[in-house]
Amino acid sequence: MAVELTPTVEWLPQCYPHENDGRDDHDGDGSDSRDDHDGDGRDGDGYHEHVSVYLVRADDGDILIDSGSVYHREAVQASVDAATDETGLDALVLSHSDYPHAGNVSPLGAASDDVELVASSGSPAQQGLPAARTVSIGDEERIRGRRFSFVDPPLADRSHTTWIYDHVDGVLFTADGFGAYHPPERCEATSADFEDEIPAEAVFEYHRDNLVWLRYVDPAKIRRALDDIFGTYDVTAIAPVHGHPIVGTDIDSYLEGFYDAAERIADEYEVDV
Amino acid sequence: MPRQIADGLYWIYEAGPDRVERFELDRRDPDWYDPDHEVYIPQCAYLVEGEDETLLFDTLSPACTDHVLDALADLVGDRGLDYLVVSHPDVPHAGNAPAILDAYPDAELVAPGYGNDHELYRLGEATHVTEGDTIDLGDRVVEFHEATFLDAPVSVWMTDRRTDTLFTVDWMGFPHLGGDALRFVDETDRAFDVEQFVEFHSRVLFWYQYVDVETVQREVDALLEKFDPSIIAPSHGLVIREDATDYVELMKDVPGIVDRRGRVGTLG
Repeated sequence: MAVELTPTVEWLPQCYPHENDGRDDHDGDGSDSRDDHDGDGRDGDGYHEHVSVYLVRADDGDILIDSGSVYHREAVQASVDAATDETGLDALVLSHSDYPHAGNVSPLGAASDDVELVASSGSPAQQGLPAARTVSIGDEERIRGRRFSFVDPPLADRSHTTWIYDHVDGVLFTADGFGAYHPPERCEATSADFEDEIPAEAVFEYHRDNLVWLRYVDPAKIRRALDDIFGTYDVTAIAPVHGHPIVGTDIDSYLEGFYDAAERIADEYEVDV
Repeated sequence: MPRQIADGLYWIYEAGPDRVERFELDRRDPDWYDPDHEVYIPQCAYLVEGEDETLLFDTLSPACTDHVLDALADLVGDRGLDYLVVSHPDVPHAGNAPAILDAYPDAELVAPGYGNDHELYRLGEATHVTEGDTIDLGDRVVEFHEATFLDAPVSVWMTDRRTDTLFTVDWMGFPHLGGDALRFVDETDRAFDVEQFVEFHSRVLFWYQYVDVETVQREVDALLEKFDPSIIAPSHGLVIREDATDYVELMKDVPGIVDRRGRVGTLG
């Protein structure tokens, strides 16, 4: 299923179900709170993590941002086929070569004569992408006629990651940044579908678990870097791979929640000397 | 060809691309740079050979599949490979795992027990190891540790108890001059410069630019206390076999330099 995010950007959500791992077993009964009282996206039946891709309808063709995981290969292919009326893609742009993002490059036909593959890497052969057109962080490029900027990401889990800013609709594709866990019934929810906002606990736990290095940061430095990005680009929607898309006025409240999460992650970590 | 580090411990090396142009080294001309040389940030894998069993730590990148398979064949011969350890599922570290497992179908795949999405990396069926887990290779034991400085959560470090070698994966990497490939740090023509650590960590462990300097320094002290290594075997640098703890101490200077100066640049 495709969820329209902006006039020419669609979200193709996929979810990875985590079994309940008991880490938030607040009542000590061996299961997490069945009714998700703590709002962390984890209930007694387990919790989900998005592993999504996004489709950009450019003037000169359909562009996919990231390719999903091998775990979702058939679902991603079916989703792309449905969204493109079986005609397939015209370009695939990767945020980085990490397996949950680059797991379906060949099955989607990328790096062929028909489907251009674009990736940010100083060593594409070492990243398993020898046929990619490489772009550098800081570059601005046109892909299928559409203007994109490649942004140095303050939040990432690999060195060669880039965030990707779409100048037409103002969507910032943030790869591993700005994710959140969610309960099984919220797989297709954007931030606009929440009565209040994406639960702060779900934002905290996602970043604590996945961007482990946040335990070492000075949160003020991260805030300054993000302020620079959001001051430079007119962002109408944030499109993370591992979370709900964050749209419109929800962006400011999400960012405040993220800053709180970053402070908490750093505060709660103690060096074991 | 691989190089022997110590008895039963071997170093398999992949140079990767020359970084001079992308890192603008001719223009920036850092003290450690020599314009007569190329510059590499290598991928390194390590074979640990025990009396009974053999273990490979990381796989190099898919750009050199034949190279790593040839090196392995030279090293293990008819003994075969018993364990393939993937430090973390990043392509330059794990990209040859399928080819190696095809060549050595009896080898046991060992992966970090940390993180929560192993199936997304095809590591769901691997043997998962965490802090304190060991593998006995016969007359030597390797031990696994929670990775301290890392990029992705599915990561693990390793020590070889016989040689007190610490395998630091992405931490303590550094660029080296082309003529120094497979040399130990004490064998290079130029003295090691902390700026080599800075060049690597500000580009690759990009989050160094955001850290609280004192927290990282305390963490380095804790690592020294915990490991007291004799040999450092990084995945992206040359092997350090003399005064290893001095180089770990040097890592305490890196976050402060990055903090004052900002990031040198990106990797990609």
